[in-house]
Amino acid sequence: MLRLPLIRAAGLSGCRLGATGLHTTASKLQAPPEQIEVFIDDIPVLVDPGTTVLQAAAKIGVEIPRFCYHERLAVAGNCRMCLVEIEKQIKPVAACAMPVMKGWRVKTNSDLTRKAREGVMEFLLVNHPLDCPICDQGGECDLQDQSMAFGNDRSRFVDINFSGKRAVEDKDVGPLIKTVMTRCIHCTRCIRFASEVAGVDDLGTTGRGSDMQVGTYVEKMFLSELSGNVIDLCPVGALTSKPYAFVARPWETRRTDSIDVLDAVGSNIVVSTRSGEVLRVLPRLNEEINEEWLSDKSRFACDGLKRQRLLTPMMKVDSKLQPVEWEDALVAASRALQQAPATKIAAVTGKLADAEALISLKDLFNKLGSETLATEQPFPKDGAGIDLRSSYIMNNKIAGIEEADVVVLIGTNPRFEAPLVNTRLRKSYLHREQTIALIGPEVDLTYEYEHLGDSAEVISQLKNGTHPFCATLKNAKAPLIILGAEQLGRSDGSKILAETQALAASLGKTVQAPENWKVLNVLHSNASQVAALDLGYGSSLAEIKAQNPQVLFLLGADDADIKREDFPNTFIIYLGSHGDQGACIADVVLPGAAYTEKNASYVNTEGRAQQTGTAVNPPGMARPDWKIIRALSEFIGVRLPYDTIHDVRGRLEQVAPHLVRYGDIEPANYFAQALELAKKTGSFASDPLELKQKTLDEFFMTDVVSRASPTMAKCVQAVIKQRQAQL
Amino acid sequence: MASAVRTVRRQVRPILSIDQPEARSRVLNLYKAWYRQIPFIVQDYHIPKSVIQCRKKLREEFLKNAHVRDIRAIDLLVIKGQMELKETVEIWKQKGTLMNYFKETEEKKPTDFLSKFLSGHD
Amino acid sequence: MAGVLARCTRIPRRQLGLVGTFLNAQQPKTYSNAPPEGKKVGGNLSDEDRIFTNLYGRHDWRLKGSLQRGDWYKTKEILDKGADWIINEIKVSGLRGRGGAGFPSGMKWSFMNKPSDGRPKYLVVNADEGEPGTCKDREILRHDPHKLVEGCLIAGRAMGACAAYIYIRGEFYNEASNLQVAIAEAYQAGLIGKNSCGSGYDFDIFVQRGAGAYICGEETALIESIEGKQGKPRLKPPFPADVGLFGCPTTVTNVETVAVSPTICRRGGTWFASFGRPRNSGTKLYNISGHVNNPCTVEEEMSVPLKELIEKHAGGVIGGWDNLLGVIPGGSSTPIIPKTVCDEVLMDFDDLVRVQSSFGTAAVIVMNKQTDVIKAIARLISFYKHESCGQCTPCREGINWMYKIMWRFVEGNAEEHEIDMLWEISKQIELHTICALGDGAAWPVQGLIRHFRPEIESRIQKFKCVAAN
Repeated sequence: MLRLPLIRAAGLSGCRLGATGLHTTASKLQAPPEQIEVFIDDIPVLVDPGTTVLQAAAKIGVEIPRFCYHERLAVAGNCRMCLVEIEKQIKPVAACAMPVMKGWRVKTNSDLTRKAREGVMEFLLVNHPLDCPICDQGGECDLQDQSMAFGNDRSRFVDINFSGKRAVEDKDVGPLIKTVMTRCIHCTRCIRFASEVAGVDDLGTTGRGSDMQVGTYVEKMFLSELSGNVIDLCPVGALTSKPYAFVARPWETRRTDSIDVLDAVGSNIVVSTRSGEVLRVLPRLNEEINEEWLSDKSRFACDGLKRQRLLTPMMKVDSKLQPVEWEDALVAASRALQQAPATKIAAVTGKLADAEALISLKDLFNKLGSETLATEQPFPKDGAGIDLRSSYIMNNKIAGIEEADVVVLIGTNPRFEAPLVNTRLRKSYLHREQTIALIGPEVDLTYEYEHLGDSAEVISQLKNGTHPFCATLKNAKAPLIILGAEQLGRSDGSKILAETQALAASLGKTVQAPENWKVLNVLHSNASQVAALDLGYGSSLAEIKAQNPQVLFLLGADDADIKREDFPNTFIIYLGSHGDQGACIADVVLPGAAYTEKNASYVNTEGRAQQTGTAVNPPGMARPDWKIIRALSEFIGVRLPYDTIHDVRGRLEQVAPHLVRYGDIEPANYFAQALELAKKTGSFASDPLELKQKTLDEFFMTDVVSRASPTMAKCVQAVIKQRQAQL
Repeated sequence: MASAVRTVRRQVRPILSIDQPEARSRVLNLYKAWYRQIPFIVQDYHIPKSVIQCRKKLREEFLKNAHVRDIRAIDLLVIKGQMELKETVEIWKQKGTLMNYFKETEEKKPTDFLSKFLSGHD
Repeated sequence: MAGVLARCTRIPRRQLGLVGTFLNAQQPKTYSNAPPEGKKVGGNLSDEDRIFTNLYGRHDWRLKGSLQRGDWYKTKEILDKGADWIINEIKVSGLRGRGGAGFPSGMKWSFMNKPSDGRPKYLVVNADEGEPGTCKDREILRHDPHKLVEGCLIAGRAMGACAAYIYIRGEFYNEASNLQVAIAEAYQAGLIGKNSCGSGYDFDIFVQRGAGAYICGEETALIESIEGKQGKPRLKPPFPADVGLFGCPTTVTNVETVAVSPTICRRGGTWFASFGRPRNSGTKLYNISGHVNNPCTVEEEMSVPLKELIEKHAGGVIGGWDNLLGVIPGGSSTPIIPKTVCDEVLMDFDDLVRVQSSFGTAAVIVMNKQTDVIKAIARLISFYKHESCGQCTPCREGINWMYKIMWRFVEGNAEEHEIDMLWEISKQIELHTICALGDGAAWPVQGLIRHFRPEIESRIQKFKCVAAN
């Protein structure tokens, strides 16, 4: 919260300064942004005006040490580690904050520079405890690394014998972050992250001089859906992961690049494992998706991968689930499927199903003559349904949100459904003067928004131009609509979709938006949803209930509100990783692999296919999901024609080629046609739009993995406790 | 270059036998020694195999090397066989070691998808 | 006052960015164009040349009294002459910032005098006089507040500012209330506010009281504090002239600088420039405290010899001039100078730089031979340790470390090589911080080591002897 209010203040007074504007105002007078030449260690480099010395140096690969500077946060310039000498200037300048001037000769390795660094390093170490052997940051500590590289090799801090070092009381900031505040070097990265990115002004400094402390001003917990990121940001061991405390050293772990599937954003992650155990999950840089942040659920729910797991196949024997061998379970399942007529079998897929399992299951059911495959979260069948991709993906992409100037959120709480989409919204709100409006229940989104009401009728009013907000929308240069997928499950879901499509189309016509600007975006909360819809999972739960199937196949469907009472005589086969709702009601349980245990494809809400990596092997007798279905098919006698993951992906490519183009997005189109096909009739249901996740405690446990995670349970308790304390 | 392709029969120093018949008789002697000892071995070691089975195995083991023609190699195998016999008769070995003769040398890895799946091999 | 802290304005002009070059193009008359010859020494300011005629509060400080003393006389005409005329007059006068850094005021004000980009401009007056030893602004605020109010109007006009914020030290309760009364009087008399003095120029003055932090005298920390945030200096660039108070162009000036500007405009820049040596022109309020018979604040010409200043106005050093140990010439953050230097040094910017000290705010702290000079400096370091904002590393950690060492020096519980170490530490702090507080803390220590090293060494020896026995 150091520089930010300044930006807002400047904005209020009618002049908008970008994030970098603050540091470039001097050069703003120059109308054409022609590049200027500077010399870094006598190497000439051409940069845009307003570039900082540090960025210019990075351009030619000269790394300037830093602690407080972070590309995604405001510049604080307070660690002074990045001081560099500029020729003909007596004072070394902070490279992170100083914009380069024409003809500057920066010396990043001169005596003055080195001396300045050594001095700063010495000062930092004066009060930093030398407890590296018991510090969790050891091995990935910026201070450790940089004192090796730039520090002195001996100490002259003789006052250790007289008055010792400063000691600071540790703070309890919640179940996720462990604090050892004595180690803090006051870089204020955590404070800036909290106030700028997370939008929670809980952290700050109190006291002055050597008594300055970073903390929450009053005793409270730092609870946010993004709080874990301060652990990564902290350059020292002041903020470390509480669940990971004293667990492992970074050099002991094996790292596997993977994808997070606990929401539909598809954040890129690194899974740290040691001897077959997932120890922690860290974010991996992907500018298009999660930048370098990760939501707390994705980061800390990984201990749920070790609990409540299904380890062996199980079968109901004497109305009790009992562990059996694979053959027995598969025989029982296949017999049930063989005996049922094709019209009496159905499948429901859950949140965490991967594309390979989805295609295998669909192929199996198609071979058996059934097309009754549903997703856990319903998607309206009327109109174009799932035929046109444009009506169910985030057409503007996540990064595209930043280009919008007016955003209308319909029935969604991006803060909890997709925290990293919300950070984009907040970023644009702060730095680009984005106007955001919300239809749906009033929730705290960490930024100000215009609340347009919680009735679905408002969508029509916006379309017809009868709502006061239409004036803003009309003048928008790049409007954006984000529709929460949750609303499509309502009884009037198709109407909501149709009206939103119509609204988007009407906005799309009026705006002078950039080429290819799409207005309609659907924000999913289930990682499997887009892939399932792409592959043609078009049925709905209601249909299945009406069909009264003899055999119901649940592919990890735990949240679908399927009760045993609804299917009294149905043989239920559950394939999934955790013993949760689905497994409870099943007759046969087939243990599948969780997302860290298989190489699998997922498609995020943008329609971007990505693949997870096998970090550990599935526990016990669990197997990758598609293999189970493939084996089952052989037992049934309708052998699926693929034996390896490559074969399955070949099949995926036949059905939907974009599913194996990893990292890319296949843009969707045919908006007009989708609109044409959309259901014009019908009316809105009278009840207001509702959300499943409205407050922070509802965010932490949304799927089998996070429900099994003790850390997530602690988070929920902490939030509730804090709320009660504040009442 | 021609010398490189020319094959020569080289005279080498013998280990024990100097010609084929002598080697053969050594092999037969060893075989007979084993053959006679087998009933006692079966009894002493208390292995779950009958004398007939053991003699069959004996024959099998000898026939495994039936293709060996090099006298020196034959001699070496005979020496090893004698050592083995000595160790067995003196009960320097243990039951399990002896049973190794009866163990399948390799287990076939599953090749088709289903057996791989069921056995847990990837 | 921590205008002293504004010493970072000493950085080369090119760092001021394009604003600097933009101004240089105008080729105005500045102090640097003044002839090198001129007075060699100042002193003996006559009464008619005094600007602050109610320095001692013997007369009425309110509007009526100040009108009698000539304040608000023909202010409208000055305003009507326009911004360029005022700035040029200030430039001709050679006025240098009275807050400590001594940056030429005319140039500083002209940074603001550029076409507006739609944002309002602000004048911020730094009345957060917190520097130990300094008590000049206080006298202006309580005894001559109308000088300041009028100065705000004229300086504001010169910069095209729409309002002035006077940030006054929290401890100055009476001063703030006097100032507030003066502002209210000026509003009622139509001197400021809408159509100030009938000139058609709208100008408002607001008073903001501080909460007792020395660092809030640093210009950007002061701006932060007015904005309602923690008083922590901002990074420069952007300079306040680009992005200052509430994100708008702002100039922060010292009370004295602003308060002398009306008189300069009335009597002419050349009159003001006739005092003092070239580049150090004008009159100045000196505060003399410490071991003198008659501590006082006095207005005197620039370049007055230090000895004359002390002898004439402060009644001499207690125990006579020979009993003098050293003088801190410009407020607590300037390096101490020993008696040998005091004998002939002149009180102006250039001569004190020559003797490796600094003019600062001209707050002369006199110490005679009964002073424990190590303890005195250690006490100053305690002050800086307490007042460091803690934002940047060298100041936060370095001053705390210096503090620990200094108090051991007071006892003598140290090794001799630690004196060099302390010197190096002070050098590691100096120039490496965001604001000038780090420098201000490093200089007294450097001055001590430069001139009183034998004192420290003998203290260490003595301690060792005692410990050995």
